[in-house]
Amino acid sequence: MEILERTSDVMVINMGPQHPSTHGVLRVELKTDGEVILEATPHLGYLHRDFEKHCEAVLWGGVIPYTDRMDYVAAMNNNFGYCLAVEKLLGTEIPERASVLRVLVSELNRIASHLLAFGTYGIDIGAFTPFLYAFREREMILDLFEHCCGARLTYNYIRIGGVSRDLPPEFEPKCRRLVRTMREAIPEYNNLLSYNQIFVARTRDIGVIPAELAIAWGCTGPVLRGSGVKWDLRKDEPYSIYPELQFEVPVGKGEVGTVGDCWDRYMVRLREMEQSVDLVEQCLDRLKPGPVMAKGTRSVKPPKGEVYHRTETPRGELGFYIVSDGGKKAYRCKVRSPCFCNLSILSEIAPGHLIADMVALIGSIDIVLGEVDR
Amino acid sequence: MHGDWVCGVYEYFKAIFLGIWSTLVGMRITMARFFDYVKDPLYQGVTVQYPTERWKVAEGYRGMLFNDIDDCIVCSQCANECPADCIIIDAEKAAKGEDLGKTSNGTPKKIKAWRFDIDLNHCLYCGLCTEVCPTECLIMTDAYDYATYSRDGLYLLFARPEKYTTAPAGASPAASPAPEAKPA
Repeated sequence: MEILERTSDVMVINMGPQHPSTHGVLRVELKTDGEVILEATPHLGYLHRDFEKHCEAVLWGGVIPYTDRMDYVAAMNNNFGYCLAVEKLLGTEIPERASVLRVLVSELNRIASHLLAFGTYGIDIGAFTPFLYAFREREMILDLFEHCCGARLTYNYIRIGGVSRDLPPEFEPKCRRLVRTMREAIPEYNNLLSYNQIFVARTRDIGVIPAELAIAWGCTGPVLRGSGVKWDLRKDEPYSIYPELQFEVPVGKGEVGTVGDCWDRYMVRLREMEQSVDLVEQCLDRLKPGPVMAKGTRSVKPPKGEVYHRTETPRGELGFYIVSDGGKKAYRCKVRSPCFCNLSILSEIAPGHLIADMVALIGSIDIVLGEVDR
Repeated sequence: MHGDWVCGVYEYFKAIFLGIWSTLVGMRITMARFFDYVKDPLYQGVTVQYPTERWKVAEGYRGMLFNDIDDCIVCSQCANECPADCIIIDAEKAAKGEDLGKTSNGTPKKIKAWRFDIDLNHCLYCGLCTEVCPTECLIMTDAYDYATYSRDGLYLLFARPEKYTTAPAGASPAASPAPEAKPA
């Protein structure tokens, strides 16, 4: 979109931090000419809790509950990323069952997280009904998590060396029922929202991110794949048991508009849900009895050294850079947050859009402020 | 020019028609679901009349902490493990010849606690403290509704200093009587 010739004074508007469609406490300072955005500056830090400094103050295992609180809608994936990084430093072998369980719960959490993104995106655009459908299924997943780890949001399930406890017997039948329900539900979502002409008209050709721009700004996850770049760490830099599982990486193809518009990013999430459902089923088939925790990982003391490990969370590439001085606590821990990098592109793509499109844009990037601010 | 005009009108009405059509597609799902729920006995009486009826929480639910101080050997492992430092223990070794009794599984107690407080205002509900507890006296109950009018209500006092005759210097036995944490 080209910026219209200025006809009135520039007005500064603060969108947020209490705006419902900023998905948390994001403040975007908008310079507007009438309804057209000239400049958008995101202001962060309202939810800053000093995660990285906390890591230096608590024991290695005690960091995991804090990672829960980073990306609180996909806490399993955060636990997973941190534990893999520490295990890389330790060189621990993880029991087979624990590895399968970890992938199982993180794929379930990916579905839950994308369901939330799908539902709230509908609300942002003005369709309330899909939200209720999304939360119906999300509720089932949270129930499963409550059974396997005792909490519905802050799981603390994946631990250094395995997982905290084995699955209860009722988990597997419930999970298989969820797989069946999800397979029926996703076409329903497509009919309800994806191909709804009003929704398409609101998201088509809005916030186009060309592939080069997405790479240049360090976007990852559905934002990058929405622009047509086939990059998924589960395939390209596989970890845990992902190399043994079959799945595809959906990318945006520009079906209703330009490649890399809001609709493409939205659709990548829905298609990823389908793939995650397949992954969950494969994991359930692979479950064999066995230990769920490696021996000697109760209180760990990783050797001196540093490590960087990155994993694919629902929002993109989550990296943990950890330095150990051989003690009971980390010397330094740095997090590469996918949401932070994805959000930074907002100031590049927002100018020229209308204020109403800003809501569609923020929703399509799907940020969680807990992780942006940490 | 004339063709463009006709084309514009056509596009305009096509958009309206498609908008209505895709809304109807969505409405069909909504109506189908509506009748599903009306018919399906599973969905009859979904509403739970909360304070009188309750959902059963899952086994191993991580709720309010509870410490059975009679079974506690005051090893302080929970306080060391706690990432939020919300367990506060003041303890003293038993004097020579003093018998503090045994825990329910027969471990003799060697340390007496003047203070065993848990500040639930800071608690992360991660459950790490209960996992290291050797006597399994510190547990997470399935209590989840304990909203109080003040922060003091979430400050749990488990040690009962009245059991002992004198407090050591520096230890600060809590002034208020210990409220009983009730497992639901």
